[in-house]
Amino acid sequence: MSCNYIMDTDKIIVKNMSKKFRLRNSGSQSLKASIIDMLMPNKRRKKKDFWALRDINFTVKSGETLGIIGANGAGKSTLLSLLAGTKIPTSGSIETRGTISSLLELGAGFHPELTGRENVYLSGAIMGLSRQQMNDRFDAIVEFAGIEKFIDQPVKHYSSGMYVRLGFAVAVEVDPDILLIDEVLSVGDIDFQRKCIKKMNSFREQGKTMLIISHDLHTIQSISDKILFLKEGSVIGIGNPESIISDYESHSRQEAAKSLQREWGTGRIKITDVKLCDNHGNEKEKFDSGIPIKIEISYNAEHVINKPVFGFSIADEEGQLVYGNNTQIEKFETGTINGKDSIVLQIDDLNLATGNYLLSFSVHSDDHEENYHRLDNHYPIRVENSKEFEGGVYLPIKWK
Amino acid sequence: MIKLFKDIWRKRELSMILVERNLKIRYKNSALGFFWTLLGPLFLILIYSVFLSVLRFPMNLPVLVTGIIAWQFLAMCLGDSLYAIVGNANLVTKSSFPRIILPLSMVKANLVNFLLSFIVVIAYLLVKRVDFGALYLLPLIIITQFALCLGVSLLFSASNVFFRDTEHIISIVMLAWFFMTPVIYPIGLVMDNAVFPWWVTVAYFLNPMTGIVSAYRMAFLSAHNPGTEFLMLSLVVSFVFMFVGIFVFQKAEKKFGDEL
Repeated sequence: MSCNYIMDTDKIIVKNMSKKFRLRNSGSQSLKASIIDMLMPNKRRKKKDFWALRDINFTVKSGETLGIIGANGAGKSTLLSLLAGTKIPTSGSIETRGTISSLLELGAGFHPELTGRENVYLSGAIMGLSRQQMNDRFDAIVEFAGIEKFIDQPVKHYSSGMYVRLGFAVAVEVDPDILLIDEVLSVGDIDFQRKCIKKMNSFREQGKTMLIISHDLHTIQSISDKILFLKEGSVIGIGNPESIISDYESHSRQEAAKSLQREWGTGRIKITDVKLCDNHGNEKEKFDSGIPIKIEISYNAEHVINKPVFGFSIADEEGQLVYGNNTQIEKFETGTINGKDSIVLQIDDLNLATGNYLLSFSVHSDDHEENYHRLDNHYPIRVENSKEFEGGVYLPIKWK
Repeated sequence: MIKLFKDIWRKRELSMILVERNLKIRYKNSALGFFWTLLGPLFLILIYSVFLSVLRFPMNLPVLVTGIIAWQFLAMCLGDSLYAIVGNANLVTKSSFPRIILPLSMVKANLVNFLLSFIVVIAYLLVKRVDFGALYLLPLIIITQFALCLGVSLLFSASNVFFRDTEHIISIVMLAWFFMTPVIYPIGLVMDNAVFPWWVTVAYFLNPMTGIVSAYRMAFLSAHNPGTEFLMLSLVVSFVFMFVGIFVFQKAEKKFGDEL
């Protein structure tokens, strides 16, 4: 068996696949511009290349369902259109085995002027089904879509829900080997979503292959055998749904934290480094409650400064203040400082509810008139608390 | 190429539905619907007959009408070719099938229209009691024109995806081509006239429409000029157009999905 041997149960094989788009100002190139390009290759206007997908590798086996997640613009829909064959990869290869039916970007290829019935037959013909085969499936399609009354109306009069329902019904009823679905679950009502999921499950049981894009993490986790996490055109992870989705969620948290970050101040004292350590002195981002934390704040004072105030605060993921304190409140004498040094903050018990928090550090003047340096929400941490309680903070209490 | 024909054959049902759709949409929302296919040429004949007699235009009406009906098949295809791909963006971006089916079906739909308007023309010619000529040539003439129409439609439909200038170019090409073809003047005007430089004459007879229009007149009106060998020349040139069209289209279609 050679390395290139491909299991015959592999239905989709994507190898080192990349897709580049050319960005232009207007939708379509003018003939003039392209003649100028041809005649004067040196003066070629700088076109911006945009790599929608870079070096993608994965396989999907027969009977497997792959969920694709990622932020908007990560390349999910482009990936699906490449698999559907409506776009061609710039490099690398895509191999698919069997008939493919797809519901890309919210809608089948329906013609607005034609009726629902005519469009159903058109979609069937695109899939390569004969009129007779479509006759046999027609009733099931109409029933699944629940649009009996409107089937002979032009689809331009359909609501977006009806449009997607009919699209989904056709896509599944044409009996493909591979089904590609882009965000169908977010459109229909709950009733239809339930019907879709039921249909997808029975599809899975028949040993068919599915690729699904959804922002509904809960549903996609329950349907998928594997999850592919895309970010800015690259695969961040592929594998077990639970772990990939938790990666994705923590990734999204960090992205969200970035938007809350702020750094400001006059700079007469600068916080040069903050080390978050456990009681053994190991740097960490994840802490269990009940264990002491040592935070070492290094700073550099350019001038002699008398009695600066060092402060810190803890905020939740949304930036809502949970706790804050400083050296002045605690009556800790910082004295006169000059040059490089550090100060240590010890928290004996970080008794917060399990969750993600953002730490801020600051140094300001004794009279609060001058902010030397502030690092707002710069340090994300995670706290795991084994105790069960209500709310955000555990207070040491006793019942008598 | 063989694979392409196989793919097209496999999707013949799709082509049929698209032809049907092309025809349906043309007459959708019009009260008389499909009758326009027949009414169009009928009024065309009426109007030309009125103006020919008023203007004392030195051309025989049956000759003119056959020329115009034949020209219209090409003109319709050229006009529709702009939207064969661009107007079906929803199909091209949402599903995968040999894209060539779109312009092919458009040309087929225009062929159906053309054949129906033929009925009107034949009825008119019967009324006029003209001498029918080499009618057996008709299938060959129609095949030649179909190949030509498909070839140019493929070129322009693909071109319009990338360059929206195509629309303006087509109208110029159509006007020049129209006068390069003996539609509203008899071919004798060019054949008997020695003032043209040789290359104009060569280009004129290499224009497949010259042979095609003349051949229709041979078939329907027993015209003698310019002879069957010109139809053969047109046939060859038309098939060259078709294969160049297929080749260019196949290259271009890979990028349709990105452009639309």
